[in-house]
Amino acid sequence: MSSTKTLMRFTGVGGQGVLLAGEIFAAAKIKTGGHGLKTATYTSQVRGGPTVVDIQLDDEEIYYPYANDGEIGFMLSVAEMSYKLFKDGVQEGGTIVVDPNLVHPTDEDRKKWKIYEIPIITIAKEEVGNVITQSVVALAIANTMMNAIDKTALVDTMLSKVPAKVHDVNKVAYELGEKYAKEAMA
Amino acid sequence: MATREVISTGNELAAIAAVDAGCMFFGGYPLTPSSEVMHVISDLLPAKGGTAIQMEDEIGGICAVIGAAMTGVRALTATSGPGMSLKAEQLGLAQMAEVPLVCVNVMRGGPSTGLPTRVSQGDILQSKNPSHGDYKSITLCAGSLAECYTEVVRAFNIADRFMQPVIVLLDETIGHMHGKADLPTLEEVEAGIVPRKRFDGKPEDYFPYDCEHDEPAVLNPMYEGYRYHFTGLHHDKNGFPTEEIETCRKLIQRLEDKVALHEDEVESYEEFMMDDAEVMIVAYGSVSLAAKESIRHLRADGIKAGLFRPITIWPSPAAKIKEYTDKIKNVIVVELNIGQFHSEVQRAAARLDIEGLFKVNGRPLSPHEIVSKVKEVF
Repeated sequence: MSSTKTLMRFTGVGGQGVLLAGEIFAAAKIKTGGHGLKTATYTSQVRGGPTVVDIQLDDEEIYYPYANDGEIGFMLSVAEMSYKLFKDGVQEGGTIVVDPNLVHPTDEDRKKWKIYEIPIITIAKEEVGNVITQSVVALAIANTMMNAIDKTALVDTMLSKVPAKVHDVNKVAYELGEKYAKEAMA
Repeated sequence: MATREVISTGNELAAIAAVDAGCMFFGGYPLTPSSEVMHVISDLLPAKGGTAIQMEDEIGGICAVIGAAMTGVRALTATSGPGMSLKAEQLGLAQMAEVPLVCVNVMRGGPSTGLPTRVSQGDILQSKNPSHGDYKSITLCAGSLAECYTEVVRAFNIADRFMQPVIVLLDETIGHMHGKADLPTLEEVEAGIVPRKRFDGKPEDYFPYDCEHDEPAVLNPMYEGYRYHFTGLHHDKNGFPTEEIETCRKLIQRLEDKVALHEDEVESYEEFMMDDAEVMIVAYGSVSLAAKESIRHLRADGIKAGLFRPITIWPSPAAKIKEYTDKIKNVIVVELNIGQFHSEVQRAAARLDIEGLFKVNGRPLSPHEIVSKVKEVF
């Protein structure tokens, strides 16, 4: 694995919009001159089934489209079953963000990884006022913690992928995600 | 060569490629993991004056495509393994009647309904002979996002050149992965379009199936005054059914020879770090991406590995495979099935000591698995 590589994994259940966050990351990295690849895995139970999105960002060309288990530096999870299924891909000492209302890491997990609890869905639903924006809250948390991509490039890419009428609400979602991430790390 | 950078998925690129290549008709039925091909082309075609129809099922989809192709337009269908099984009979009809069309198969786990959302390469042998009878299938296989585009474009040109169906294999991983593809410009694609041959003489002199022993039929578009009979039965130069001994023999031999004697026109493969290779990995589709990554690791460990990747799967690049397997002792085929292309490499190499790494649980093969296997067997 090259030193320039960032591997992130978003997990949830189908229908939550975790796929979009991955697309935004990959596209923003490519637009800034690097290589980005998003690969999703889902089950035949498309809505409600465990979903995982692997995001690879690199300055070098990426061949294998999945994140290798054990090499993932950051995972975000908003569903218990997906968390359990995919957490072992995260490298020891890596960062995991969970929504504490939905995901309950064990004490053992807390020893193995840096686990932050941020109520992503509640933030989207109550503070932003639109539950759909949870993927943008998640995007902001991931980027703030991993310092993966220039914020302006990421936000511009995000705005290019959502309808104009929800630009403002998504900007709010990004700022809130960033705020909560910084507070969690403080 | 000018290129354009597109950020997209393999399925979306396949649909865009079809439209750029001049496809004006899509007929199909959405089937995971190929559905996005249909979704995207359903948006694109009407804007260009083309037509996309969701038929009642996969069989209806390819029937509509055959009909459209007979009117002279380029036509596409897209599906996955279970849909290929349903389309098999009509693929045979298109082989027999010599109707050009492109069929994209985004492979998922099988047999039967299998693993709908999971990756597989289990349709390699199916694509060689989807229907009963003798004919020479042409199957291309995309190994990158860019190839989801370029191979669909190439498939349309090959279909019109050889007047038969061309299958383009994607797999779930390639179809759904989302990233950057450097594509040829639209001008370059359009300049490369070679339309199918047509007969310009008097209608009474038109015999669509009266052609050289290694050339395809010349099917003029329907409804333009050039009349012929269309059938899946053995047929004469007008297309009418016949059981005349020599006509039947010549017809089937021609279906074989029109491709077999011109394989150089469709052959395509990639050689990746093969110059000094002492270990030859044969892989295609998404598995070739894992193989390339594994070669980085193997070379870092001092093992000179290289990748041979068939892009045209059928007819296989057998002569080139033999050239390599005559020189290189350590050869391994890596694929998401139980040795479907492995048997072809054994045949081409005339060797039974070709190693294999196979996986059929719907999960991708990782670079680490390939590295471990290579270190274990060689």
